[in-house]
Amino acid sequence: MSDSQLLTTTHLSKFFGSGHTEVRAVNDVSFDIAHSEIVLIMGPSGSGKTTLLSMIGGLLRPTSGIVKIDGTDITTLGESQLPAIRALKIGFIFQAFNLLDALTVEENILFPAQLRKGGINQARPRAKALIEKLGLTHRSKALPKTLSGGEKQRVAIARALINQPQLILADEPTGNLDSESGQEVLMILHDIARDEGCSVILVTHDPRVEDIADRILWLEDGALRDRKSEQHAWVRDPVCGMRVDEWTATLFNEYQGKRYAFCSKRCQERFAENPANYAEM
Amino acid sequence: MFRWAWKSLLTQKTGVFGSAAGVASAFILVIFFDAVFRGESTQIITYIEHTRPNIWVMQRGVSNMHMASSFLWDWKADKIATLPGVKQVTPILYLNSVVNIGDQKALSYVVGLEPGSARAGPWEMEAGRSLPKPGEAIIPAVMATLADIGIGDTVSITDKSFKVVGLSKDTYSMANSITFVTFKDLEDILSSTGTYSYLLVDTDEGVDANELSTRIMNDVEKINAMPHEEFIKSDYRMSMQMGLEIIFLMTVICSALATLIVGFTAYSQVMNKRRELAIAKALGMRNMSIVNSVIFQSVAITSLGFLMAVIFALTIIPRISTLVPQVSLLVSPSAFIQIGLVALVVAIVGSLIPAYYVSRLDPTSAFHV
Repeated sequence: MSDSQLLTTTHLSKFFGSGHTEVRAVNDVSFDIAHSEIVLIMGPSGSGKTTLLSMIGGLLRPTSGIVKIDGTDITTLGESQLPAIRALKIGFIFQAFNLLDALTVEENILFPAQLRKGGINQARPRAKALIEKLGLTHRSKALPKTLSGGEKQRVAIARALINQPQLILADEPTGNLDSESGQEVLMILHDIARDEGCSVILVTHDPRVEDIADRILWLEDGALRDRKSEQHAWVRDPVCGMRVDEWTATLFNEYQGKRYAFCSKRCQERFAENPANYAEM
Repeated sequence: MFRWAWKSLLTQKTGVFGSAAGVASAFILVIFFDAVFRGESTQIITYIEHTRPNIWVMQRGVSNMHMASSFLWDWKADKIATLPGVKQVTPILYLNSVVNIGDQKALSYVVGLEPGSARAGPWEMEAGRSLPKPGEAIIPAVMATLADIGIGDTVSITDKSFKVVGLSKDTYSMANSITFVTFKDLEDILSSTGTYSYLLVDTDEGVDANELSTRIMNDVEKINAMPHEEFIKSDYRMSMQMGLEIIFLMTVICSALATLIVGFTAYSQVMNKRRELAIAKALGMRNMSIVNSVIFQSVAITSLGFLMAVIFALTIIPRISTLVPQVSLLVSPSAFIQIGLVALVVAIVGSLIPAYYVSRLDPTSAFHV
């Protein structure tokens, strides 16, 4: 691994079950990611993207292979050492935001800081700076239930950044957002890689993300493959009008015999409320 | 972490308060039963407490008064009276019996008093005389109130009738009360002469009661002599012993109930918050920290329940004694210490299953939508 590589996976595999019932969720995946690089992992549903992300994040032990973050092989670490890696070297961003309901915006952002040296008190200035940077100053004492989807994801991003991790793992970060909020989140992630110097791995179906990615990895049947351009099947989201790759999209509704693909759950819900309003006549 | 655990609890105030109230109810039952037995046991020794001689003398092999029988030949009292250091010997005749008041029956110590022996008689009167004459009895005022009788009415002990001439205070308990008759009347009931039950020995000033007790036992055969403090402890221990098994059983049952409530609440809390707990794990929280937060929540619920039980015990139980005077209740600080320790065990045991569940929680479930 050269000095410029932050993450290296070598022959990484994860199998579930055994014998006839064995499922190869991730099969012999090897790739490197450099510092400050934004890498997009795309692929159809069930291709093993989240499993791969879980192994990189130290949440799931691989069946075989190596995951090195900043030179440390996390697959050899014990259960007692992994939490520190997750807390200090990696920032997680989830599709469902995953904020803690009982805590305010500021407390949510500071939550992972408990594990770092100096604890919450030393992290307060950084939390304040992140709150300002992400436009959450007026919401810092608010509870998550009072926030919009975009605000929630911005809080989740600030939480992921509080311990100044070297690697951000984002699982469908725009999946629950409308197109405007989704675009905003993508720009924030882009700026993070530039300003904070951390690498970002994005798992997504959202084709807009391609615009900010330095590199795209295509995962199919658990293995990395070259993506062919003809594998795009562009359609329009009937609610927001955004371009959606029907081949990789996961959100669909049937209405009057026609299938509609959506960029986000929010658009899908809006469609479901009044399909006649959005369906093509 | 604890802040999060605490704030998570507060998001379900009704459930938490309900669980704490359930835990409090279980603890209140234990405190109440303990108060009943302590109150009754304290009331049982009230005669010994108030007569307060320096030394109690009784038949050999007897070491208390409650539910006991003792017989001493009268010459032994005379012999003890001659020993150096003995100021006064007051003999009493004593019987555990049933006093019939109208159609009601009440368990009672019946104490036979020598004429003019105020030393061993009632210490405070509500009405009437404090010393009976032949055919007369002094009964507890509460007993008279419960039976709706008064001075001039009749009670009977075995087949002998007595006219009530005095109502004494502080001499009633559910388990036992004290009725005073003349020595001669009680001799008739017992069909005995020349015997006493107990001797109340007062010493000269400066005499060591322990040493004199030993000397009395050495000089007079087949008797037991005990300094007052030792005798009262022995009687209290004996009367408490009768309730200890019940108190222990109640403590076990109520603790099990409280453990179930705390366990169920902690488990519900964990099930409701399992996604958040998985998120916390994914974000780098150690298993031990998360398990500690579950234990913290159990301790918080149990402590709230304990606090509610203590407040109830200190405010309501004394009022019960006022409203129902026949019930003697004594809330003891040691009962709170005992329940406090039980509460700690309840909190930890109640959190075991939820903690085990949390420790097995898969952090990858944080990725599920």
